[in-house]
Amino acid sequence: MFDLPILLQIGWTSVATSTYYVLFALAFALTLKVAQVWNFVQAGTMGLAFYAMFAAMLGWGWPHPAGFVFGLAIAIAVSMAVEVWGYRVLRRRRSSPLLLFIFAIVVAEFVAYLLSLLFGTEPQSLTKSLASEVHLVGGVAISSWDLNALALTAAACAALFAFLRFTRQGQFLYAVADNGELAELYGISANRAYLIAMVIAATLVSVGVYLYGTRASMIPSAPLELMLLAVIATILGGIGSLLGAGLAAVFLSVLQSASILVIPSQWQSSLTYLVLFVVILFFPTGFRVPAWLRRG
Amino acid sequence: MSQPVTRRAWLRGLAVAAAIAAIGTAGTAAAQQTLKFGLAMPLTGSQSAFGKDQIKATEWAVAEINAKGGVNGKKLEVIVLDTQADPTVGINAVNRLVNVDKVPVFVTAWSAVVKAVAPIANREKVLELSIGANAPEISKLGDYVYTSFPLADIDVTALANYTYGTLKHKRVAILYVNNDTGVEAAKVYRSVFEKAGGQVVAYETYDPKATDFTGMLLKVRTSNPDFIHLHGLIADMPIVIAQMRQLGITQRVSTYAGGYNPQMVEKAGKGAEGLIVTSLAPNEKQNPNVGPYLERWKKAENRIPNGLPYTQYLYDAAYLVAALYEYVEKNQLPATGENMRKALLAVKTFELPMTGRLVVNDDHTVRKPVNLLTVQNGQFVPLATVE
Amino acid sequence: MEYIYSVLILIGIYTIMASSFNLIIGFGGLISIAHPIFFALAAYASALLNLRLGVPIPLAIVLGALFSAGMSVMLSLPSLRVSGDYLLIASIGFQLGFVEVIKNIDFAGAASGLTGIESLFSGPFRSLGFTVTILVIAAAVVWLVHWLTHGEYGRAIHAMRDDEECFASLGRNAMAIKITIFAVGSGLAGLAGALYAHYFQFLSPEQFGIIQSALILTMVVVGGMGTTAGPVVGALLLTALPQVITFLNLPPSIMAPLQGMLYTGLVLVFLFVRPAGLVGKKLRQ
Repeated sequence: MFDLPILLQIGWTSVATSTYYVLFALAFALTLKVAQVWNFVQAGTMGLAFYAMFAAMLGWGWPHPAGFVFGLAIAIAVSMAVEVWGYRVLRRRRSSPLLLFIFAIVVAEFVAYLLSLLFGTEPQSLTKSLASEVHLVGGVAISSWDLNALALTAAACAALFAFLRFTRQGQFLYAVADNGELAELYGISANRAYLIAMVIAATLVSVGVYLYGTRASMIPSAPLELMLLAVIATILGGIGSLLGAGLAAVFLSVLQSASILVIPSQWQSSLTYLVLFVVILFFPTGFRVPAWLRRG
Repeated sequence: MSQPVTRRAWLRGLAVAAAIAAIGTAGTAAAQQTLKFGLAMPLTGSQSAFGKDQIKATEWAVAEINAKGGVNGKKLEVIVLDTQADPTVGINAVNRLVNVDKVPVFVTAWSAVVKAVAPIANREKVLELSIGANAPEISKLGDYVYTSFPLADIDVTALANYTYGTLKHKRVAILYVNNDTGVEAAKVYRSVFEKAGGQVVAYETYDPKATDFTGMLLKVRTSNPDFIHLHGLIADMPIVIAQMRQLGITQRVSTYAGGYNPQMVEKAGKGAEGLIVTSLAPNEKQNPNVGPYLERWKKAENRIPNGLPYTQYLYDAAYLVAALYEYVEKNQLPATGENMRKALLAVKTFELPMTGRLVVNDDHTVRKPVNLLTVQNGQFVPLATVE
Repeated sequence: MEYIYSVLILIGIYTIMASSFNLIIGFGGLISIAHPIFFALAAYASALLNLRLGVPIPLAIVLGALFSAGMSVMLSLPSLRVSGDYLLIASIGFQLGFVEVIKNIDFAGAASGLTGIESLFSGPFRSLGFTVTILVIAAAVVWLVHWLTHGEYGRAIHAMRDDEECFASLGRNAMAIKITIFAVGSGLAGLAGALYAHYFQFLSPEQFGIIQSALILTMVVVGGMGTTAGPVVGALLLTALPQVITFLNLPPSIMAPLQGMLYTGLVLVFLFVRPAGLVGKKLRQ
């Protein structure tokens, strides 16, 4: 069971399927970092983006790029609305984190119900057929979906990195993440930063649901569960570290797939939750190499 | 400030409670002249595509029976409630059917729901007809729970024996979804196949929410089976097959009646070629009523029904209930659950229009011939019939 | 009448759930969504103790509730050591993870569910017996929560919420109070769960999902967090309301999602228009 072609195959496929998790994790980690909010509304954004694309591509027969843009537009519009009329209002009222959390999760659930009203709860995909071309490279099956996903995700990450590092607005996001009030004193609008963070998150998740929808099927209640991995990855990677979140997402995805080699298949999904507990117990501030190890 | 607010809130709550009581009692005062039966099916939720078609089939049959004069001059009435294929919602629905609508018999499906409402049927002495659910446990749920649909052991047993005996495959890999559908059926397949003399080289399960089956499929590949039996849901099976083919696993696959669905071919593409599925209902050649039935679907909905065989059974459900009422009316017994059950056991053999002869055994099971079909050039064609 | 009993029983059970949840979230300020899991843990424990080990039902129910209380410490202790936010995340994981674990445990019925659970009462007065018992217990729970939060202990809780550092500096142990509140609340949820198990006689892991958490949360928020009567009003309204809706004979395909939208919509409206809930006095934020 441990021979090389199998390990390579599992390694390859699990990295390819980690792509959408990476995007979801980055989006969640970004909003947490900049706005200090556990943005569970992201699940709602994911659902709306997917079903918008579904309606466009399979309902109205639009070509994929057009359908994607439509979904993206919806995701951005919703995120902005939630930020301006939701979070901003609650923040202004100095609402407790409890209220913010209730708001976020309730909006996500509202969206899930709305989507099941509009689209039913049958599993839907963005393509009629889920099979894609496969190339065999040294015994490892590489599908065109895999390559596509990796390319798109790499591009998205590069764009995100470039934005944050090289543009002024990106720098502002960091400033606000660090200390919102201080940034305000320097003339940086914290509200604007929050808005931009939400928009970027919406973009990332749109790419993510597109990838997911072309490989698997979605139902209205799926996004809330997909979010869980994003949340765990964010914690594991260290709150405030986008790179950490992304890497953690890849790690968790690979772990979940590779675990089949050592544990019976039915316990596979429980593994993620086990990891969550281990993380909370031993690495609540993220996986940092402990000081004594670093020194030695 | 808080005192008046609290009082107002309490009054509001009481008003609501009073309203329910009023509506509840008003509901039961409705006309009692029809012969009622309940139908608790998923109208919403992930299974609604099947549920809605099954409900439609029953409603068509009820209309047909009434057009021919009903039962003993009285009209048959079906009361439909949503279960979402969820046990808690199902319990609520059946509670209503039994306590408010006062039906003496109800039809339901989906194993989780069937099991959840069994205690109600047994306690209130109302006849529960499970039609479509196939967990083997169903035959042991109590005196008032019967099925008119063959349970998993029937078609899975036929498949296993066919695979070993006729197709001569000695090594099989079993993949199943980790819920009540998959777990029970996989156990049956394994025991039947091994008893016939075969070897189960892989026995893997997957979570209903999983989307990537690479690890599991690789395990299957290394176990080198001659044949693969897949027991999942229409939501995941095409994906499993698609990924299977992409990993270079070319063995033939079989599945149960749940795979007899055009979506399998649509989503899995070429990978579905050679797929073997079962059908527990007669096809057009075996039963002359099926042809016109399909025509009617094509005219009304422009497609064939989701889960065609299941809808045939639900169509016949109305005729089955009508037959029970006929017995009860003929013998001038009050229409209670107890008497409906008596009727079921007394009549025992029913000739039903869409599925043929039904014999209700004392152990609460029914046996039916199993039709095997396979996918050839993207279409389901008959393969064999196992009695 | 049967039907009215079953609605009353549900109201009783949800009152216990909402009240105990209010204790945790409204009074203790502990954000957790794993409440239904403690309901489920005790339900399974009680059912199995009775089914497999022959423990008499009333004792099984009590043991089940204690089991839930104990398990809650497993969740609260490590999470609270870090921060309140972690309790939230851990509770989400606990909620989803527990469902996964139960699906794989055969003697608990696994994914197919646990059937054949014994009923607490039987015979012609079963429903009446259940209704009276559960309503009495519900009243007792509401009274207990009221007593806990308005007496000596209640003052300590308020002091802790108002200024935790000051509280600690006075030598009071905030952590111990939080864990205790969580355990009491979870134990009460467990009590509701065990009663549920012996009434409905069937348990399956699907019944304890996030939807349940949302429902209880709605009851507490809409009723009024941090008040005694709030959760009761919330439970009453949100158990009775869907029943009324089903009698309106709307097309069924829109009924279920519409109900869901109604609950969540209600919470959103209350959050922005009346955060204190139906019953509440103005909450200090």
